[in-house]
Amino acid sequence: MASCALVAGLCVPLGARGQARPDTLTGRRHRLPEARVRAVRPERFAVGSQRLEIDSAALAQYRSGTAADVLGARLGLYIKNYGPGQLATLSLRGTSAQHTAVLWNGLNIALPTLGQNDLALLPISGNTQLSVQLGPAAALYGSGAVGGALVLRTEPDWRPGLRGSVQGDLGSFGLRGGSLEARTATAAVAVRIAASYRQAQNNYPYFVREPTGLVRYTMQNAALRHQWSISPDIAWRVGTAGELTASVWLTDADREIQQGVSVAGSNAREIDQSRRLVLGYRQATQHGGQWQVRGAWFEDIINYSDQGAVSNSRVRTTQSQAEYTAPLGQHASLRLGLEGQHFAAVVDGYGAGPITENRAAAFGLLRYDPRPTLRLSANVRQAALPAGLAPLTPTLGVEWDIFQPFSPDSAVLADRPGLTLKASAARTYRAPTLNERYWRPGGNPDLLAESGHGYEAGLRHRVAPGAHVVLETELTAFYQLVDNWVQWLPLGAGGSYSPRNLRQVRSQGLEASTTLRGHLGRYRAAARLAYSYTQTQKTQGVAVDADPVGLQLAYVPLHRANFTTDHNWRGWLGSATYTFTSYVYTNASASSFLPAVGLLTATLGRTVPLPGRTSLTLLLQSTNLLNRIYDSYPARPAPPQAYSVSLRFAYH
Amino acid sequence: MKKPLLALLLGATLLASCDPSTEITPVPTTSSVYILSEGQFQAGDGAVSAFDKTTKALSVDAFAAANGGTMLGDVVQDMGVVGTRGYICVNASNKVEVVSLPDFKRVKTIANIRQPRYFAATSATRGYVTSWRGPYTNYAAGKVMVLDLTTNTVIDSITVGRCPEQLTVLNNLLYVPNSYDNTVSVIDASTNKVTATVTVTTGPRTVVADQANSLWVLCSQPYGATSTPPAALVRFAPGSTTAQLTLPFASSGAAQLRISPSKTLLYYSYNGAEYQLSTTATALPTTPFIRRSFSGFGIDPRDNTIYAAVSTGYTTNGRFIRYPAAGGAAIDSFTVKVGPNGFAFY
Repeated sequence: MASCALVAGLCVPLGARGQARPDTLTGRRHRLPEARVRAVRPERFAVGSQRLEIDSAALAQYRSGTAADVLGARLGLYIKNYGPGQLATLSLRGTSAQHTAVLWNGLNIALPTLGQNDLALLPISGNTQLSVQLGPAAALYGSGAVGGALVLRTEPDWRPGLRGSVQGDLGSFGLRGGSLEARTATAAVAVRIAASYRQAQNNYPYFVREPTGLVRYTMQNAALRHQWSISPDIAWRVGTAGELTASVWLTDADREIQQGVSVAGSNAREIDQSRRLVLGYRQATQHGGQWQVRGAWFEDIINYSDQGAVSNSRVRTTQSQAEYTAPLGQHASLRLGLEGQHFAAVVDGYGAGPITENRAAAFGLLRYDPRPTLRLSANVRQAALPAGLAPLTPTLGVEWDIFQPFSPDSAVLADRPGLTLKASAARTYRAPTLNERYWRPGGNPDLLAESGHGYEAGLRHRVAPGAHVVLETELTAFYQLVDNWVQWLPLGAGGSYSPRNLRQVRSQGLEASTTLRGHLGRYRAAARLAYSYTQTQKTQGVAVDADPVGLQLAYVPLHRANFTTDHNWRGWLGSATYTFTSYVYTNASASSFLPAVGLLTATLGRTVPLPGRTSLTLLLQSTNLLNRIYDSYPARPAPPQAYSVSLRFAYH
Repeated sequence: MKKPLLALLLGATLLASCDPSTEITPVPTTSSVYILSEGQFQAGDGAVSAFDKTTKALSVDAFAAANGGTMLGDVVQDMGVVGTRGYICVNASNKVEVVSLPDFKRVKTIANIRQPRYFAATSATRGYVTSWRGPYTNYAAGKVMVLDLTTNTVIDSITVGRCPEQLTVLNNLLYVPNSYDNTVSVIDASTNKVTATVTVTTGPRTVVADQANSLWVLCSQPYGATSTPPAALVRFAPGSTTAQLTLPFASSGAAQLRISPSKTLLYYSYNGAEYQLSTTATALPTTPFIRRSFSGFGIDPRDNTIYAAVSTGYTTNGRFIRYPAAGGAAIDSFTVKVGPNGFAFY
């Protein structure tokens, strides 16, 4: 027990100081009832880099939604979106969809075929924590963490007793949904089960310019026929030093695939099913260290069809991880780990036989705090891929509280000002996807991993102008290069398109955010204003790669601004987000573009306590409240102003 | 700290709200050349650019310029000119747009023509459009849709082979290459019936008629097929159902068969270059006419100037280059939209 306390004592305060605070304060984090074998998160080793987190109260507003709904609105990140419920991918710091690693409970869940995730297929209900790590971070998160990483987690809730909620949703354009969550814990076992369902007709009106003027049409073939997510989790304390966890996440979506509005005659449809299971065991040692093993099995199915043309794929992934975290004296901790992945893919585009591939990696993560006000990290990862070793990816980070450090307990509103200087430098990589290696025709088994490196530096400032008000401001400048950027070019046999490591892309910019939180009596409020400037250009290529050098890449807005505000008073909730996106080019010649657009969403809610530890919450939400007419993607008109109503019954 | 930062952020937001300016060049009204650009698939930005060869003015998206910003559609494949009308096959939009020339105003949209490919007319009142059927690589027998050019309606359809492509008219007979088969369907325009089927080599894509009334077919790899049979240039005589002359290529990939206005010279692209041969030749040329790969090729019947399209992928604007009739050094070049693939002259 003494060793457990030491681990907790070593890790918790340092970790709390090292990470950015949640972005709103509409809810406080749950405290652990007692010091236990608490997991040492990889974020602890991410010193000096930007991390954005969505707190649980904000997540609760999106309970039957998906990551696509929440990331753009709450964090101001740019999402390429083909329509409501359609393919949605994240572009972090100007990079492409394949340059965001997506992790669930510490394991990479990117589709091995595509090397990316559709955010519209990640229902919020499946997770209790959602955060985004910006910047290159392969040492921590492995392949694909080039622009950053999306980190999803289900955290056991050890509060004793039974809690649960059931919610129903009804909205514009045939939106129907519901969600269910139940959790309970004893001293030894914590169980949670969450499920959500959603369907939508998406038969919204849109306008097309004709010679006679704007003509109104109704969106066709865009329905979300169903989307399920079921995620049971169990955590079991084994003795005083061990914890066994099992998490399952099943998702199933059946979508009509919306085409560009000028494309006629398609009735494309896609079934996406993912089954994910992870088993983990964590054990504290006598010497204050902690080891952890994980094993995971995933199955991802994508079955696409359009007018009799069929494309099916199924990939089974097994992953294993083992890591040991040891304290090094009073001021440092070191983690060493190994991981392996095995893919087995049956994909129509690869030919008849199954394709298998193995990958492995070793990593070492070091955190050293020579003084409470100076925090350092040094990490490294080396991955082995079928076509050879990936680039070695080290990371260095520093945070220095120039004056008046923050209160160690980030949940308390400290009234002392503070200024922190932060900086990091990292190398990163992205392993070639199975499609890039095995697609017929064109697949290139000799493709190298993309490599990248980046730097960021910034300031975090915190001031408490009033007794119950805190203002936190963060300014970050970043610069990063991606080399061996993979591009499909007509260089394969018979002029077929084939991926080649030919390009270099540079991304640089500024990120600024300022958050004001405060409370007065029973009134609590928060407001966050964020702005990012992202300049991303191809800087080197070859003659056959015709995309010009020195122009802003398509689908990277130069400017993006995001304002969110949340207000709570006596069971009332008011929340609004405004997101401004400057124009984005839609081709590499920078000649076509989607115009700038500013979008407002708002939520109004009321919770009424009922007898017997129950409550009823009514939420009214509106998206595109200003009723902007815009395309979310070329020839993909976005829905007009839309509403939804949710009713939630909770027991706690 | 807060106020200056806020001001900075708001200022940046205001600055950022300016979209790029979009200049619209009016559609030229004389000596026009039309350049077809497929556009980015699914983006609906296929275009016909109108070029005035006297003033060198270029209206990059003539249809939008003439029709209040209306987009032409998705994957512009072909354009035929009959009198003062242009017939534009917009492949992924399943339609033929009828425009008046030279002002490019919309006359009518002939909708529900599935996967329209190429247009040909047998008279001022009768047009034909080839139309593919069935999904990618699982194609069914295609159709030739019969258009009444007075009312701009579909009045009949004729079943031909799979993936009918670039057809031609000779003596009131239509020659339709079935590019997913190895045949050319012959249609009598007076009855709209298939009267004969000519067997050629796999993948016939384009048929042209020469001065001696022989028909030439360029056969290449069928669209989407995984096998890559060598291409062949095939000649056959009207009334015959077999080849008279077959000139085999060493590999697949020959495309864009064209014939000069005098109907004595054939052109095609192959292996990264453009080739020219006489209609009396009995072997393929070994020396390129122009050492450059073109995605479209056309010869202005008014002055024999060569128009060649250069497509640089699916995400960048393409160009067209003008060459003198005899080839040699380029005259000039102009930027058009993504994926230029052909020309029409008015």
